[in-house]
Amino acid sequence: MKPFTIFLAVFCQLFLVTGQIFFKRAMRQTPTPRPQARIYGELGLGIVSMSVWFFIWIGLLENENLSRVFPFEGLNPVLLVVASWLLLKERVSWNTGAGILLICAGICLASGS
Amino acid sequence: MIETAALPTASRVRPRPRPFAWVVNPYLLIFVGAVLDTTGEVLLSKGSRLVANNAALTAGVLGWAAPLHSIWTWIGIVSYVLSLLTWLQVLRFVPLSIAFPLVNVVHVLVPWAAHTFLHETVPPRLWAGIGLIFVGILVIARPLMKVEEKL
Repeated sequence: MKPFTIFLAVFCQLFLVTGQIFFKRAMRQTPTPRPQARIYGELGLGIVSMSVWFFIWIGLLENENLSRVFPFEGLNPVLLVVASWLLLKERVSWNTGAGILLICAGICLASGS
Repeated sequence: MIETAALPTASRVRPRPRPFAWVVNPYLLIFVGAVLDTTGEVLLSKGSRLVANNAALTAGVLGWAAPLHSIWTWIGIVSYVLSLLTWLQVLRFVPLSIAFPLVNVVHVLVPWAAHTFLHETVPPRLWAGIGLIFVGILVIARPLMKVEEKL
């Protein structure tokens, strides 16, 4: 696999994580109602981010075997939990950390078959 | 672990009984969303396969859109949209760092559905990976289930 392909496979996961962070920000509950424009703006940015991820991912699948690219999906849970902790200030328990490592290992093992 | 910190104090002190509260239980919705996502994957695959051998549909510039001629593809797309709406509802109540790992149950459901409904072969290594994913989900979900039981 070319270094640029590896870079793209990792880079596009960042768009997926960004999209999910925007979705969460749009849907979070607050004590006072938030402006509708802001909610729809965050939802829109989430959809744009997810679309960028989708098109890069489709492009990768056209040029590489699924079994070689799919292990990079194993990064998603880790990146997303780190992003939730840093950007959304969510608490991450030891159980969640251990579970995520098992899920990532499972995705990598399954995708290599 | 439903997010309650952001709710007004009154709703935390005196929760209103809701007759169909289980329908909107966010953890149940995560599973419903995963099932809808799996349904979408299986139906898109079925729709694509049905038109794959039809040379009249797959030829030309618009050949890539051939699966849209199958009703299964459209039901699959509707299933995906419903899955997204379910996910947005889940995000209203569950922290992202918990919801996202739990929704990885699709990595268990999709191979199982492909094996059951599309008669695809699932190699042993894939079953081993699915087993690891399932254990990981249980590790995350078990403490949450205990909290839910106490509430």
